[in-house]
Amino acid sequence: MIRIALAGNPNSGKSTLFNGLTGANQSVGNWPGVTVEKKSGRIKHHDFEAEVIDLPGIYSLSTISLEEEIASKYIIDSNMDLIINIVDASNLERNLYLTYQLLDSKAPMIVALNCMDIIQKKLDNIDIQALEAELQVPVIPITANKKQGIKELLSFIATFDYKNQTRDHRYSEPIENVITDFTSILGDRFLAVRFFEDGLKAIESANLKPESVNKILEAHRCAAGKFAIDFDMVLPNDRYDRIITVCNKVLTKSSVAYVSKTEKIDSILTHKWLGLPIFGLIMLGVFFLAFGPIGTTITNWFVMGIDWVISKIGAGVDSLGMASWVSSLITNGVFGGLAAVVGFLPQLMILFFFLAILEDSGYMARAAFIMDRVLRKFGLSGKAFIPMLIGFGCSVPAMTATRTLDRDEDRKVTTMIIPFISCGAKAPIYGVFAGALFFRYSYLIVFSMYLLGIIVAILSAILFKKTILKSASANYIMELPEYRSPTAKNTFLHTWERSKGFLIKAGTVLLGAFIIIWFFSYFGFVDGTFRLLADEEIEHSILGAIGKFLLPIFQPIGFDSWKSTVAILTGFIAKESVVGTLGILYGVTGNVVDNGTLLFEPIRAAFTPAQAYAFMTFALLATPCIAALSAMRKELNSWKWFTFAVAYEMIVAYLVSLVIYQLARLELGTFLSILFAIMVLAIVFFTIRRFIVRKGVVCGSCTSCGLKDECALPKKTEFDALLETKQKDDVK
Amino acid sequence: MTLRDILPGEQCIIKGIYVNNLRKRIIDMGLTTGTVITVKKLAPLGDPIEIHVRGYSLTIRNSEARMIEVDKIEAKR
Ligand SMILES: Nc1nc2c(ncn2[C@@H]2O[C@H](COP(=O)(O)OP(=O)(O)O)[C@@H](O)[C@H]2O)c(=O)[nH]1
Ligand SMILES: [Mg+2]
Repeated sequence: MIRIALAGNPNSGKSTLFNGLTGANQSVGNWPGVTVEKKSGRIKHHDFEAEVIDLPGIYSLSTISLEEEIASKYIIDSNMDLIINIVDASNLERNLYLTYQLLDSKAPMIVALNCMDIIQKKLDNIDIQALEAELQVPVIPITANKKQGIKELLSFIATFDYKNQTRDHRYSEPIENVITDFTSILGDRFLAVRFFEDGLKAIESANLKPESVNKILEAHRCAAGKFAIDFDMVLPNDRYDRIITVCNKVLTKSSVAYVSKTEKIDSILTHKWLGLPIFGLIMLGVFFLAFGPIGTTITNWFVMGIDWVISKIGAGVDSLGMASWVSSLITNGVFGGLAAVVGFLPQLMILFFFLAILEDSGYMARAAFIMDRVLRKFGLSGKAFIPMLIGFGCSVPAMTATRTLDRDEDRKVTTMIIPFISCGAKAPIYGVFAGALFFRYSYLIVFSMYLLGIIVAILSAILFKKTILKSASANYIMELPEYRSPTAKNTFLHTWERSKGFLIKAGTVLLGAFIIIWFFSYFGFVDGTFRLLADEEIEHSILGAIGKFLLPIFQPIGFDSWKSTVAILTGFIAKESVVGTLGILYGVTGNVVDNGTLLFEPIRAAFTPAQAYAFMTFALLATPCIAALSAMRKELNSWKWFTFAVAYEMIVAYLVSLVIYQLARLELGTFLSILFAIMVLAIVFFTIRRFIVRKGVVCGSCTSCGLKDECALPKKTEFDALLETKQKDDVK
Repeated sequence: MTLRDILPGEQCIIKGIYVNNLRKRIIDMGLTTGTVITVKKLAPLGDPIEIHVRGYSLTIRNSEARMIEVDKIEAKR
């Protein structure tokens, strides 16, 4: 079976085309960096079959981040049978740059010219034949998101004689001479071009003999003197010159001036004064809608519905007259746990829905743009905002998304702080406690939990950067995509995919966890015999024993019952099960019928506001669920770092809860004192912030080119640059 | 003068780029010698800046903008 790779700039529509070709439902989003791992799928057209691989987007074969490296390596090294290069026709000049890099390779290639709808809307015109003639490869116009041209593309691929494709692209005379020199040493023209651009980094994997390396370095030295402009700008300049000629030939701009709506929208959303307040309002608005009156009301209706269903099931089970442990398993273990969790689905769906809209519209990239200045203070790039924002949904994709960051250290820091961000699965915990104990202020309390998570994450980032991961210096360079109105289909697909993930987790991992928890909590030794326990006897259960054993450790942070300890323990399986366990332990099914809001009554009886807040804090900050742990292990890629991260998170969770609980108790446990605790944290954080040292300028491109000592590129001396930075910022 | 000194709304032409972490990427994104760029705006907190180059919007930090040597194009009226 032949293998086809989809390659193109970020945000050019690769995933959309991939979905169109394979019928899959890959995440599509309007910001660079949605696809961070390669995904493969299958296409079929009559009796033609092929494997298609959706790669992360790249701007250039010279890479600066891990995800780009994955894509670039894949294209360069793995001998694909065919490369479909997706080119965003509405951004032709920049997109063709990668195309020309790809054309240097020998891989068979076709160009899918995407976003033709935008060209039509602008009343521009692209001469496809002329473009084909210039690129010497087939060009097929498509509009991926409206599924136009996909069939034509499919049938073209099916019959395309890719093995016999020939093309011959030449650079200008002096460049060709250098390439010929390099080729004679390296033995391969494509490799020679890569060496021209990327230096020694490009030939690392070629395993050259030392004398060849010396030879090629000599040739490089010799060639570098021949050009009037900087050596690393020679090829890009030539390519862009060529591209401009091509664009002038094939692209006719309409005489009617096209006013893009992006400019208009951005004149408000990234406005000098309005930009930041609007950003804050949007974020607050999302949380208000999900966790404020509207979300709560919807949840209440939903829970009432569940109550009704469960009461029917309970009655049905009882009437069957099954063994007592069976009916206990069903009503207490399965439904007791599930009902408490699933009840929060509406709120999560609202949250996911708005995240989807933010992603699809293109606002995410603006958020990174607006937040960069702030995040840089913590040593992170504005781009780190995106993984952190995804972290509000779920830590697992968030950690994967850290691959868009340029540096390994940045990725480590971001991965380690993501668990502090309050994920969707933690929301039910706040829902229960805030709803039960804080009444009118409940959404403020919920918002404060989110804030606390963010503050701890930021402080940790600063700490890491100041101590163990000093070398990190987050880079930032990002394209702002055009706004697109989010399609209903895409938004609902996104919302549904994530909600489904939640439900499936509830139905599988969690269900298993609930059954185990049920067993541990409904079986135990009473008067020397091991047997099924009644609701009142849970204290004697196995879980009860563990909880009691661990209780002294948790007492300083306000836990006064083994039930809290047990609930927290089960949270390590999945955060959702904290609420589920509380449901089981407080025998929620008992008063399902007469009380609509399942858990509120028992919680009100068992927790003071201060205890509840400390409990929520610990649940928020302590080590994440199993799924997130395994993602963390994967991204950190080292047991040492992983162990460190887990230990760090546990200790931080404990300390912060301790401070909050003790402070809250001093003030008679009022909720004002909790706000006070947050303010103290904020002051600490601003103090630390002032001490962050700025970094000088390092020769980054040179370390990667491997020609450090012979670098002939223009430099501003490090001292100069530092001085200038200082002065500029002092003026401000 | 560097790109950092260009005000929003003004245009300039690139003369050269000093060595910095993102030099190669900046070049690949189309900021080669002789390219005309328009500074569109500063982010609400004054940094990064948004520029218009080769038909699209790019955002870079002041620290990188300071590494790009440019000539201002005086607006013709
Ligand atoms: N107007 C228009 N938008 C498109 C087209 N194809 C994709 N998009 C949108 O472009 C954005 C990026 O798409 P995606 O497939 O995630 O790009 P990728 O980053 O290359 O995988 C999404 O918002 C899509 O809805 C098209 O043909 N026309
Ligand atoms: Mg994608």
